[in-house]
Amino acid sequence: MTLSALQIILLILVAAEINLDRRGLSLTHARPAIVGFLCGLILGDMNSGLYIGGTFTLMSLGVAAIGGSSVPDYGVATIIACAFAKTTGQGPEVGITIGLPVGMLGVQMDVLYKICNSFIAQKAQKYANEKQFTKMYRILYLCPVMVAVFMSLPTAIALTAGAPLVQMILDVLPAWVTGGLSVAGKLLPGLGIAMLLHYMPAKKYFNYILIGFVMSAYLGMPVLGIALLGLALAYMFYIGNEQKATVGFAGGLEDE
Amino acid sequence: MSREPVLTKKDCVKGAIRWSLMAVTTFNYDTQLAPAVVFGIGPLLRKIYPDDDEYVEALNNHFKYFNTHPWVANLVFGATLALEDREGISACDAVQNIKVSLMGPLAGIGDTLIWTLLPTILGSIAGYMALEGNPVGVILWLLTNLFFIAVRTQLMWVGYKEGTKLITKFGNRIAQITDAASVLGLTVVGALAATVVTAKTSLVFQMGEISMPLGDLLDKILPSMISVLTVWALYKLIGRKGMKVTKIILIVIVFSMICSALGILA
Repeated sequence: MTLSALQIILLILVAAEINLDRRGLSLTHARPAIVGFLCGLILGDMNSGLYIGGTFTLMSLGVAAIGGSSVPDYGVATIIACAFAKTTGQGPEVGITIGLPVGMLGVQMDVLYKICNSFIAQKAQKYANEKQFTKMYRILYLCPVMVAVFMSLPTAIALTAGAPLVQMILDVLPAWVTGGLSVAGKLLPGLGIAMLLHYMPAKKYFNYILIGFVMSAYLGMPVLGIALLGLALAYMFYIGNEQKATVGFAGGLEDE
Repeated sequence: MSREPVLTKKDCVKGAIRWSLMAVTTFNYDTQLAPAVVFGIGPLLRKIYPDDDEYVEALNNHFKYFNTHPWVANLVFGATLALEDREGISACDAVQNIKVSLMGPLAGIGDTLIWTLLPTILGSIAGYMALEGNPVGVILWLLTNLFFIAVRTQLMWVGYKEGTKLITKFGNRIAQITDAASVLGLTVVGALAATVVTAKTSLVFQMGEISMPLGDLLDKILPSMISVLTVWALYKLIGRKGMKVTKIILIVIVFSMICSALGILA
């Protein structure tokens, strides 16, 4: 059974929407169960849609894109799985095995659009400094466009050219390209922290960086716990300053 | 320098919606969510700063690195907008410090509760019900998200009101508070430096009879060594003259491909 052109377009739009939504509005948030529900509506096969969505949901529990990290696109995996369960007629399980690799491609796409965004951000700031504010706002609209195009691309290719082609692309790309992109995706989040250290009084208060590091690296404390500890340290720091200020004032009086 | 506040609840709701729609779509490895901050609260800043030069300075301030949980970020913007609305452009440094120091803890709370706990609970329910062909769990999930969208439109105003209260209360202690806040921020940054880079080495260290995975060896010397070394190297790279962030990104990509090809990092 083949998909109609309208169904293909709708599925590609779902791929774009869930990826925009996941990064902003958070209504569907690319949750597989919700995506499967939508695909079920589009394809007229609610049972397969829910089954595939449910399977991917349970598979992806605990996988969160925290702090801008790149994770497999389970939403897109769900779309592809639903589509191919329908076209191959071999049921949801076959769809799931086809859908997952396409979803994995989402990691590479994620890294690519984030790299493009760097150029957009710099351009926007340049416009701001040239006082071309309308242009600044306008170019920022490119960011969601990048997300929609890049993140729906695997779906578009898989649905129009078939999943084997997607697998073929993955096979043809040399390992050092895919592997390198994946390593870059793991190294690059460090850039943000490095930038942060340049903005903050890192040299003046180096000891606090060290405390946070020891808690995390040696004791494996979760970041929320370290933040609470940081809060305690900040409070002590604040009170200490406060006392210094009052002592200084009292001392001044005695001298007179 | 104190001035008459100009922002209204309507402005803050508008800002919250603009931010919420853009948020992580603007993520870049350079300043992360900063472009979305500019897009979201830019019109509000324009209202605060009718003067073009001050507006540009404020925009540049918000173009700096920012990343936190996108739902709770609205609280931070509300608080800093309240400060800018009262103090004007002289509050820029305080605004930057407050943003940086609040983003860590709020991200910690958001990542734990909203990104992990909430989908785990709702996902388990929706997932199991979906396997049985029952869409009720899915609809429950959608309704919950809808409820939170409504809540999020109000958060910037909440931050604005609380921020104003906080600022009137502490007024002249801002410098001390921001210094204390950077202590909190740097503690969290120290923790992030240990976890933010997740690349691992698969090399094996061999010496005669003894062989040991290099990763284990490095971890014995200093846990999270790869993460710290990466952050340190990038920190040094940024400090070099003529080093632009895009250039650094390209260097990292080439470096990653070489390391991946040689099997040094994965």
